Amino acid sequence: MKKLSTSLIAAAWAAASLMGLQTADIVAKKVNTDLSKISYSADVWNEAVFSEITLFPQTSIALNDKKANDANANAKAKKAKVAAVHNGIQIAFLIKWADGSMNIQSGYKADIYADGFAVQFPSGAFKPDTLPYIGMGSEGRPVVVHLQKAVKSFYEPNGKGNVYYQLNPNQTELFNEELDAYNKKVKAIGSNDYEKAFIAEGFRSTTEIKDGTDLSYARLGYKTDGWMGSLSRSLKDVYVDLNHAAIPVAFAVWDGEKLGRDGLKHLTSWLSVSLEGNGDGSALIAAIQDASGDVAAGKEAVATNGCAGCHQVEATDAPNYMGPSLSNIGGYATASYLRESILSPSSVVVPGYNRNAHSNYMWYTEENGKRVSTMTDYSWLDAQTLENMVAYLQTLKAEVE
Amino acid sequence: MSKRQLAMVMDLNKCIGCQTCTVACKTQWTNRNGREYMYWNNVETYPGAGYPKNWMELGGGFDAAGDLQAGVIPNLEADYGVPWDYNYDELSTNNLIAGNAKPGFSPNVEPTWGPNWDEDEGAGMFPQDNYFFYLPRICNHCTNPGCLSACPRDAIFKREEDGVVLVDLDRCQGYRYCIAGCPYKKIYFNPKISKSEKCILCFPRVEQGLPPACAQQCVGRIRFVGFLDDEESQVYKLVHKYKVALGLRQDYGTQPNVYYVPPTESPAKFDADGKIIEGSTRLPIEELEKLFGPGVHDAIKTIKSEMQKRKETGESELMDILIAYQHADMFRLDNNYYQEVAKSKGNRLAPPVDTRYIVGKHTAGAHAINFYHGGDFKAGGHH
Repeated sequence: MKKLSTSLIAAAWAAASLMGLQTADIVAKKVNTDLSKISYSADVWNEAVFSEITLFPQTSIALNDKKANDANANAKAKKAKVAAVHNGIQIAFLIKWADGSMNIQSGYKADIYADGFAVQFPSGAFKPDTLPYIGMGSEGRPVVVHLQKAVKSFYEPNGKGNVYYQLNPNQTELFNEELDAYNKKVKAIGSNDYEKAFIAEGFRSTTEIKDGTDLSYARLGYKTDGWMGSLSRSLKDVYVDLNHAAIPVAFAVWDGEKLGRDGLKHLTSWLSVSLEGNGDGSALIAAIQDASGDVAAGKEAVATNGCAGCHQVEATDAPNYMGPSLSNIGGYATASYLRESILSPSSVVVPGYNRNAHSNYMWYTEENGKRVSTMTDYSWLDAQTLENMVAYLQTLKAEVE
Repeated sequence: MSKRQLAMVMDLNKCIGCQTCTVACKTQWTNRNGREYMYWNNVETYPGAGYPKNWMELGGGFDAAGDLQAGVIPNLEADYGVPWDYNYDELSTNNLIAGNAKPGFSPNVEPTWGPNWDEDEGAGMFPQDNYFFYLPRICNHCTNPGCLSACPRDAIFKREEDGVVLVDLDRCQGYRYCIAGCPYKKIYFNPKISKSEKCILCFPRVEQGLPPACAQQCVGRIRFVGFLDDEESQVYKLVHKYKVALGLRQDYGTQPNVYYVPPTESPAKFDADGKIIEGSTRLPIEELEKLFGPGVHDAIKTIKSEMQKRKETGESELMDILIAYQHADMFRLDNNYYQEVAKSKGNRLAPPVDTRYIVGKHTAGAHAINFYHGGDFKAGGHH
């Protein structure tokens, strides 16, 4: 069945190249400027080509914040503008998205959340037809995620040892100038930049990269009803190798107004970025193209094969979370991921989002330390039916706001 | 499930609501570093809104099928209460009495709610049938913790050696699903460090053979601490032998490990003329059933019959335990258990980080976390 899916992808590439569909979602212009520390306002963006991308609300898994779930019920997709530039050593991205409210996490509050954005790359070598799972990667296919959020100064508790400066100022013995000096010192040792980078191979495994490697430079700025976020990083380091003709990238944005954080976000599918001057990236670009099957026939096949028994299929169906909801799957899953998941459900099984959060409905069992999906294996499907089903599933996405 | 479970029993018949436990905990852990509003230990009046306000109505926990339930994250001002400070600083520059428009100290925020805000209000009408009792609450260090289940980052873990539930602050990203998931609302968001924090059952004290500060300081000696599988411990006897100590809101499905001896006695009601109504009790049994489940009937029956036995024969092991003669008997922690655990781990006590993530797999290098007891654990990998 592995063979079947590979030959299908080969067929899809061939079809795509015949139809001349091989344009990347984003084109990274080659520039001669240093990109190591550039922000969203850098001049280099004047030379860049902007593409429109769509970010879809994450609905595959349920989260347990009641207010946030209410605020995000029937969330619509968002449009954003993205540009990229590279100079052969570094690559930089700029994303601009509309957000009517500037939400900054600050002050002595327990229930406010920050706006922010993330950029995801596959970690290490990647194969165009088996990219990591879009949500935090999957076992054996890790991802690196860069995150920048509008969080005002915060204080890392570990490793600094300066307990005295963690005191409430009113519980110090200080007054006047001494107290001012104390407060200044507290401010100075706080972290004013939230920027973080993570490596993950599935939900829950996400681990912050704090090994001292200077990975990236991400900036975030708000201007007239929208955010601008920039990320610059080297094309190659111990975690990623992006120095190819074309690379996959995915974006996510968070809206603090809707109590967004973590999985409560809008995200893209894997998008292709062609790096100008790096050769022919058509293999990856084609692999990310949508399936070409018959949508109506696919819808019927999804119904007759009983997918709705465990998955919420259309947004109008009742969510049951016996399996991941598919109501926005077309927004953020590639055709090759859908093919792989139908033919071989155990190929990509992400660890349960919440440990025993759905203990009544096991998404997978563990056999000899390996996750085995409880989904039926559909490897017996004929190639055309599969392609039709994938084409239908790719139409399942929220409308754009 | 952890190999062993440390548990606490609180005898509600003896709690006088003095808040010494609250203060012991606050000065030990939560008077600084963004925790000022938190009360890892609080004592609330029941019936009442409690702390945070109406916590029993904020969701979390599991349904009968074992699925995690959605919950609400309380608001700091409205539900927890802002810890206000007075303008002590002005003492050195202003005369706060003479010629001052607002004489005396004034709070920097107008207080609208706080822990113990509705102290002693209770329910019923004074004087004929009003009633209340005190309910001290800490983290229940549950066997099936709602907070742990809700965390999308594996940042909450339950220690193998004693079942203490801890937040791995190195992994926590401050998403706060844990707060929604905990039906007791005993895990808090620290805005200063943007991470969640909670009662740690004073594990650094416990590892040295000392009981948690709240239990040590309790003037009424209502708190017993010990391992649930230690048949010599008074905790074991109260929970398993006599079955007079019961978990709070076991219907939440988290299997709490703090147990309560329910209030057994309550005064009689008065009639319209202020005369005692013989045989009446002010505290409705339904309230106790709601808090402690159907086992409360047998628990009360056992306590009453042991009281009677003590009166008649002068002997009752249960009454002797509940009288709490000696701290040494109430707390059974030492016996070198933690020293043995440490020895098995190369003479290091357990780090307050999730050991599953100590060894790096994907990160190029690990980063060191320094702890007070000198360990420099390498964290930052995964699996």
